[in-house]
Amino acid sequence: MPLLKKKPLRTAEIPTASQADLAFLLLLFFLVSTVIDVDTGIGLTLPEYIEDIQTVEVPKDRMAAVLINENGDVLVDGNPTSVFQILNNIKPRIQSKIELPSNKKLIVSVKTDRKTNYNIYIQALDQIKQAYFEVRDEYSNTNYGKKYNDLQPEQQDIVKDKIPIIISLAEPEAVKK
Amino acid sequence: MEFKKKRAQIKQEIPTTSMPDIVFMLLMFFMVVTTLREVTVLVDFKLPEAKAIEKIENKRLISYIWVGKDKRLQINDSIVPLKDIQPIMYAKREALPNIIVSLRIDKGSDMGLVTDIQQELRKAYCLRINYSANIKI
Repeated sequence: MPLLKKKPLRTAEIPTASQADLAFLLLLFFLVSTVIDVDTGIGLTLPEYIEDIQTVEVPKDRMAAVLINENGDVLVDGNPTSVFQILNNIKPRIQSKIELPSNKKLIVSVKTDRKTNYNIYIQALDQIKQAYFEVRDEYSNTNYGKKYNDLQPEQQDIVKDKIPIIISLAEPEAVKK
Repeated sequence: MEFKKKRAQIKQEIPTTSMPDIVFMLLMFFMVVTTLREVTVLVDFKLPEAKAIEKIENKRLISYIWVGKDKRLQINDSIVPLKDIQPIMYAKREALPNIIVSLRIDKGSDMGLVTDIQQELRKAYCLRINYSANIKI
């Protein structure tokens, strides 16, 4: 008697041909969306170190003196304000000096105490920088119809020339320790 | 009568076609998670937050100074005293003239220390600095 022929075994398979494509899609997604963390911060240029300092008189209306004491109280040109009011205080003064020659632009002088908290100092510096950036943005908007960052490099130079960021860091008095 | 070895007729293989994909996935996971860091930070610090911050475009020019909560200073891989900043930074500046010093200072520090560091940097002629800060939203 001939044996009954067995049915061929059925194998069930999941189609895997498209898996590679899926993986590539994922890879692409991550490649595109990943941000490599960049260093961010407030940039400044320190003055050169000179042994004997010659003091130069600066007219009062050119200076905006920001004083911060150890409790975080702020004086702008002798008037007590809060850290977050510095922007509003300084901004109109920067704007009023846009059309003046470069030796008459506003100088913002920041002076702290040795005991002042670093965070408050950064907040104050941030406010000053923000004031400058806002003025630059507004100036570029009225003159070129774009924000400062979207301008051509040559145009940026012009705006930079009109509104230079001059921040002077006064040393805290060494007496207090 | 001949004895035939009996074998199971069912396939017993683990499908391996998707293995490279799994490997790719793992690779991607590690690619995403890894942050490249050349130095180990020995001090504990928390950066301040600010809005008007800029990116430093050129990472090659950056040199870091860390200041921790406990007022310890770190340059490169070691804790250094304040008076060593000047010679170290001067040597760095000689190697890389337009160096940018990124100050990663804990937000609880006081300005006395910061000013002292700045004075040392001025003496070392490293004039371009950057107060490292996180974006405030």
